[in-house]
Amino acid sequence: MRSFRDRIRTGRPRGVWSALPPLAAAAIPLALIAAIVVTLVRAGSGHGWLLNLGLDWNPSTGEPSLSNFGVLVFLVGSFATALPALALVLLFSLALGAATALYLPRRISLVLNGFVDLLAGIPSVVYGIWGFWIVAPVFGTVINPWLNGHLGFVPGFGGPVPSTGVGIPLAVFVLTLMTLPLTAVLVRESLLAVPVTYREAGLALGATRWEVFRRVLLPFARRRIGGAALLGFGRAFGETVAVFMVIGDATKIPVNIFDLSYTVPGVLVGQFDSAFVQPNYLAALAQLALVLLAISLLINIGGRWLVGRVGRGASLVPGVA
Amino acid sequence: MSAASETAWAEWFSPEELGHFRRRRSIDRWFGRLLPVVFLVAIIPILDLVYWVSQRSLPTFTWAILTTNPTGNAGGLYGPLVGTVYLLLMGLAIAVPLGILAGLASGVFLPHPWGEVVRGAGDLLVGTPSVILGYFGYFALVLYLGWGASLLAGGVTLGIFMLPYVARTSDQAFSSVPTDLRDAALGAGARLRQYAARIAFPIALPQVLSGIFLAAAIGIGETAPLLWTALFSSYPPTQLSEPTGYLTGLIWNYFDEPPTFGTEVTLAFQAALILIAIVVAMNVIVRVLAERSRRKLEGLYG
Repeated sequence: MRSFRDRIRTGRPRGVWSALPPLAAAAIPLALIAAIVVTLVRAGSGHGWLLNLGLDWNPSTGEPSLSNFGVLVFLVGSFATALPALALVLLFSLALGAATALYLPRRISLVLNGFVDLLAGIPSVVYGIWGFWIVAPVFGTVINPWLNGHLGFVPGFGGPVPSTGVGIPLAVFVLTLMTLPLTAVLVRESLLAVPVTYREAGLALGATRWEVFRRVLLPFARRRIGGAALLGFGRAFGETVAVFMVIGDATKIPVNIFDLSYTVPGVLVGQFDSAFVQPNYLAALAQLALVLLAISLLINIGGRWLVGRVGRGASLVPGVA
Repeated sequence: MSAASETAWAEWFSPEELGHFRRRRSIDRWFGRLLPVVFLVAIIPILDLVYWVSQRSLPTFTWAILTTNPTGNAGGLYGPLVGTVYLLLMGLAIAVPLGILAGLASGVFLPHPWGEVVRGAGDLLVGTPSVILGYFGYFALVLYLGWGASLLAGGVTLGIFMLPYVARTSDQAFSSVPTDLRDAALGAGARLRQYAARIAFPIALPQVLSGIFLAAAIGIGETAPLLWTALFSSYPPTQLSEPTGYLTGLIWNYFDEPPTFGTEVTLAFQAALILIAIVVAMNVIVRVLAERSRRKLEGLYG
């Protein structure tokens, strides 16, 4: 029979070993990030550093020793789509956030925000096929020629317009839709996180709702909105499949904003198949993947730091209200 | 402002001041009219998407499409549909237990700064572009571990993709259990893991489940992690070591075929419609479960 002391002992902390299971569980996400980095480093090694910031992306499949991997074209394509998309997304997110916080009745805004959240659920590839077949003709025959005709004098808006409709404007449109739910949730949460008493104090002093938004909510939530913008940019920058399907995938510097282009994630997904047979090509793509990973990690660390801990219930996972 | 009250105000304020008030009010009213319109503009595309995908897929939709395999330029969706289900189940088999463990660690077990570190790592994984996961899956699993392009490699890659979503949502679920309950449990002599298993877990369960459905809804729509790990196949998989098809891969392969070639583009739209239906259904479940957990927590907070 066990003594009373033994039973007491079972209640004691078991020292370092009892901390092991939670530590192992905690290590899962960290270990995954480490595994991804190590894998990409290994896949990209063996040929030295292959990438450069030049214009010439030439895998030279016939003669690998002549290949040159200038990635500037893809960086230009990525920024040319992600930055305008971010500007649009931020504008929309602020409008939706202001409408939710100040203008619309709670029930109505709940339903409308539910629709916006639904945008996050549509698979990337579905946006792609919809953009390619349904939206592209609208851009090719209506929107792009209109912009070209009326704003042609603005640098970047003149010049030839591809008639198919695929290209930078369509990619910006699709990216805006795909990034909106995340940024809208974060901006909404940061506006709603401003203490209600501040809002009420502003209104009680006679400020209009617009003035409360502009002078009270915006300054208070500035930092978190900046974080939301950064995270939205990261999402837009890393979006792969949909952008590949609607941007035309031309390895060149676009001549104007209507031109076809190619993004960093796009080239990673689009040229992997042709790189299988050529070791230095494959290594170059792995290095580019590593660069993309580094950019997205930096953006996400910065964005998360700015957003901080938004109220309970908010998260970086859109759709979980 | 009616004429009568206008004169009443005029006793107190100068015409300049009244003009200033009117301007401020009209700015506010214009925003009151503009913002609901902005909302509608944001919602129109998703309605357009659902409308046109249905328009392109429903007229030729028959049950035979769900029961025959794709044949190159015609056929149905049977193989990829079954493959999608297998991949998703395999992915969940990895993402759910590991994700919940990671969520438990950061939401219940780890002391202050460390829980935040694990959460941050989860958020970074959520923010990682999906094509990176595809590269990781191909190099690490297909090549270095020698699994070859297979259902196994695809399922595991998809599981790794979904894991951070499960981890982050279950962390949130465990973190939102009232601290009073934790204090009471530990004060009454329970161990942390007893608190986790008997108090935190039952309370957090609806929210954890909602996170699992959310992860599944996101995972089922992914393409890039699977392209080189599961590769593609028109037939339902019979072994773990075989390449397998999936709906997103079918869309990816067929979306830009010339429409004169066959019914492939229509087939891709049909796959898209099925994906939308599955994802919307899962999102409804997510919402119902989240609402249930919100009520439960409200009850606990009293």
